Amino acid sequence: MTRAFLALLAVTALPVQAHHSFAAEFDANKPARIVGKITKIEWTNPHSYFYLDVTDSKGNVTNWACETGNPGALSRRGWKRGDIKLGDKLIVDGYLAKDGSHFIDARRVTLPDGRTVYGGSPGDGGPGDKPTGEKPTGEKPVGK
Amino acid sequence: MSPLLRICEWLHELPLSTSIRESENAYSVIETVHVLGITAVLGTISVVDVRLLGGVLTQAPVARIARPLIRLTWCGFIVMFVSGALLFAAQAATLYSNAAFRIKLLLLALLALNVVAFHSTVFKSVEAWGSSPHSPARARFAAFVSLFLWSGVIASGRAIAYLNRH
Repeated sequence: MTRAFLALLAVTALPVQAHHSFAAEFDANKPARIVGKITKIEWTNPHSYFYLDVTDSKGNVTNWACETGNPGALSRRGWKRGDIKLGDKLIVDGYLAKDGSHFIDARRVTLPDGRTVYGGSPGDGGPGDKPTGEKPTGEKPVGK
Repeated sequence: MSPLLRICEWLHELPLSTSIRESENAYSVIETVHVLGITAVLGTISVVDVRLLGGVLTQAPVARIARPLIRLTWCGFIVMFVSGALLFAAQAATLYSNAAFRIKLLLLALLALNVVAFHSTVFKSVEAWGSSPHSPARARFAAFVSLFLWSGVIASGRAIAYLNRH
């Protein structure tokens, strides 16, 4: 009986991973690109968010939430908090939320100065994620 | 708007909370310290609980194990509480509606009740029964409840990150 309790403890202690995994929210089979103007920036832990007003071909504007890694991870990739500001145009390549909302995991972000940064959360297991120390894939510049 | 949510929003917007939420390293360092605190608390508590259930150190009197360990438990508790409070403050407004976080707080409240109930009743006479490898049923029950609730605290704590919608 005691062993069962110890086993229970061991099992509950196991799932110590990166903050929520890619698969918890997003669908790797739904890649998408959105282009829009920044309306809000949340440079926050454990994930950062920014919001884009995206205008479709009919002129309808939809506000999209984009999720990226935490400020430390983005900063180490060269994306500093001052690099984007409200009104800037961003190109976001990523994967849509499973629930169909206007929510995208931004794996690759083209900044206003033309640089392309990997936006994924470290260790989330999503497309392009690599073990610690390896350079993430998907960091090639986006074709113009 | 509920007063509790207003307090959470006030906490969320404090300069300290904002600087942790927007930090490059502090947030993950505090998370690590929080886990270390939990390790000290649950590590020491589980030894006592498993002893009460007759699993380990059955030749040693319960009080001989519990009394020296309680200091380490309290040190761990302080580390766990302070780091946990900072992590909460950094995201108070979103954690307010997080189901996993609410369950975790409820389980922690039940754990506190369990501690008070155990120490104010059966543990008072520990000198009388503590030398036996077999503890009274009420002590074993308290030990089981403790291990069960702590497992729930760890599980719901982990689940917070998976349910937190920005």
